[in-house]
Amino acid sequence: MDMSQYRNLFLSEAREYLKSINETVVALEQSPSDRAAIDALFRGAHSLKGMAASMEYGDIVEVAHSMEDLMIRVREDGLGFDAGVADLLLEGADLIEGLLNDVEQELAPRRPAGDFARRLAGYTPQQPRPEPQPTQAPPPVQAPAEAERAGEPSGEMSTVRVRTELLDHLINLTGELITNKHRLLNIGRDLGSPQLNEAVSETAKLLRALHDEVMRVRLMPFDAICDRFQRSVRSLAKRSGKELHFELAGRDIGLDRGILEQLTDPLNHILRNAVDHGMEGSAERVAAGKPAKGSVRLSVSRDRDRVLVTVADDGRGMDPQAMIAAAIRKKLITPEEAVLLSPRQALMLACIPGFSTAKEVTEVSGRGVGMDAVNASIQKLGGSLTIESEPGCGSRFTLVVPMTIAIIHALVVQCGRIKGAVPVTAVHRTVELRREQVETVGKRQLFQLDGEAIPLLSLNRVLGLPLGRFPGGIVPLFVTEAKGRRVGLVVDRLLGQHELFVKPLGRPLAKVRGLAGGATLGDGEIVTILDVADLL
Amino acid sequence: MPTTVMIVDDSLFMRKMLRDLVEEEGYEVVAEASDGEEAVARYRECRPDLTTMDIVMPNKTGIEALQEIIALDPAARVVMCSAIGQESLTVAANEAGAKAFILKPFNPELVARVLKEAAEG
Repeated sequence: MDMSQYRNLFLSEAREYLKSINETVVALEQSPSDRAAIDALFRGAHSLKGMAASMEYGDIVEVAHSMEDLMIRVREDGLGFDAGVADLLLEGADLIEGLLNDVEQELAPRRPAGDFARRLAGYTPQQPRPEPQPTQAPPPVQAPAEAERAGEPSGEMSTVRVRTELLDHLINLTGELITNKHRLLNIGRDLGSPQLNEAVSETAKLLRALHDEVMRVRLMPFDAICDRFQRSVRSLAKRSGKELHFELAGRDIGLDRGILEQLTDPLNHILRNAVDHGMEGSAERVAAGKPAKGSVRLSVSRDRDRVLVTVADDGRGMDPQAMIAAAIRKKLITPEEAVLLSPRQALMLACIPGFSTAKEVTEVSGRGVGMDAVNASIQKLGGSLTIESEPGCGSRFTLVVPMTIAIIHALVVQCGRIKGAVPVTAVHRTVELRREQVETVGKRQLFQLDGEAIPLLSLNRVLGLPLGRFPGGIVPLFVTEAKGRRVGLVVDRLLGQHELFVKPLGRPLAKVRGLAGGATLGDGEIVTILDVADLL
Repeated sequence: MPTTVMIVDDSLFMRKMLRDLVEEEGYEVVAEASDGEEAVARYRECRPDLTTMDIVMPNKTGIEALQEIIALDPAARVVMCSAIGQESLTVAANEAGAKAFILKPFNPELVARVLKEAAEG
């Protein structure tokens, strides 16, 4: 029997099992006597073993088999599900993950399991198992394996698995169709033909429906990346000797798979900061009158076509004044600039490159390592990052990202002869200032918005174009965020909001800083998508 | 008319492999189920001539499902699939009315023979 035809199915299902093993282990640590979860773990290891045996992947069989045996001891021989068992199971899951990667890349397995099987077989708990406390029965955790199985349709008729490239291709075609629709609309307008206009507007409706469906197919639940966070928070807390409760909410919210993939690293970063720097040790917490166990909450929610991902903790928080002092000391801002900063802006100093590398800053501010990279990658997705914090009470990092990609709503602006587009997610608002509203402080120009002094920059100047003249005395601009601060970018004209299908720029243009892609307007004109954060 | 088969296994990979094997032998797969509970429900609907039943599954094990299917239809022909190391379970399955056993990983020739015997016997 030719088994190679089953390889991809094996890989994808084996990874699903690993994911559910990871999640179940972490859940069991919170409620170690949850019978359903223990059974699910046993079954997961057992199924992996059986599948790998069919594919004749001996190394995977060996690891899965020893995990299964360990779970039999937990299930039947009264071995307590303690941190030691959890560690071994997670280690096993990692080993198998590595072996699966080897299988995928058709490499000879390079990660011999070593003495893993022996260590599992010989595992004995270090301390006597604590008596279960009947008064405090933990709520039953629904075993993820169970949940997944239940949701899986039984027949193969109702679901198909498709390669992700196909999904990318579909979105590409849909995008081209939408661009073409705008072209037809323009022609219809020029010809003044009611029949044509009617047909085009009907086509537009159908296209909208098609686009929505294609986008829906690409959506994956946030859940798909959750196990990594549970794993990393758990090991970070363990390593730093901190006690904390990690909560996840909104796992079923769907996001485009491309965006989801790119959220993993930034979120891991924020979580690491929360555990390593934001969270106090138990003694410090108790002294401050807080519960000994800290709490970190990762929650996801949807707001129309945007998704909000929030990491909130009840740790020591960040002190805006300390942030400002550190930024001045590092010569990132001048004392004069510092005076103009609102507390909100001060917190965003964490996102300036170079701010957070010094250890000293970490300790003073309690947070902020590598936030510049986080901010940059969120902006690349067309999203935004906000930081809120109350010293002593905790911090909250909110990422707002578009639910889907490729087709974006963008503000199109004119600068000199160039038309540029800025994703509306990066635009806080547009403003048309009268000349007298522009204030000059030293060499800088700024204006007042919601009680904040917003510096003004010319997008023409940034792009190396001749400066605008503003004959009507009205200065058009849009407010965006750069290096953690709000800035007003002055343009020649605001041309309005457009629906654009973004295409990546090929080489060598892809290397140019500040360019995020290109798009065609309905009249065939090409606009450049600007990555404002990168430009400034 | 070809012999009809239902395949019960919580792993999609296993079901797919077994389906290919079974269809290769000229049987018609009329149902699949991914846990014990579903197996009983699908059996009630489809009444397949033959059922292959995994043992370790969520929402009712294969043995529990076997017992319910036999109660529903004492003539049901159910072949249990078990992994190496689960021999102890064969006694319970035999008592519950299993017709035969096949061992994972599957040996195609052996599977074909066991299914043929179970279908005819």
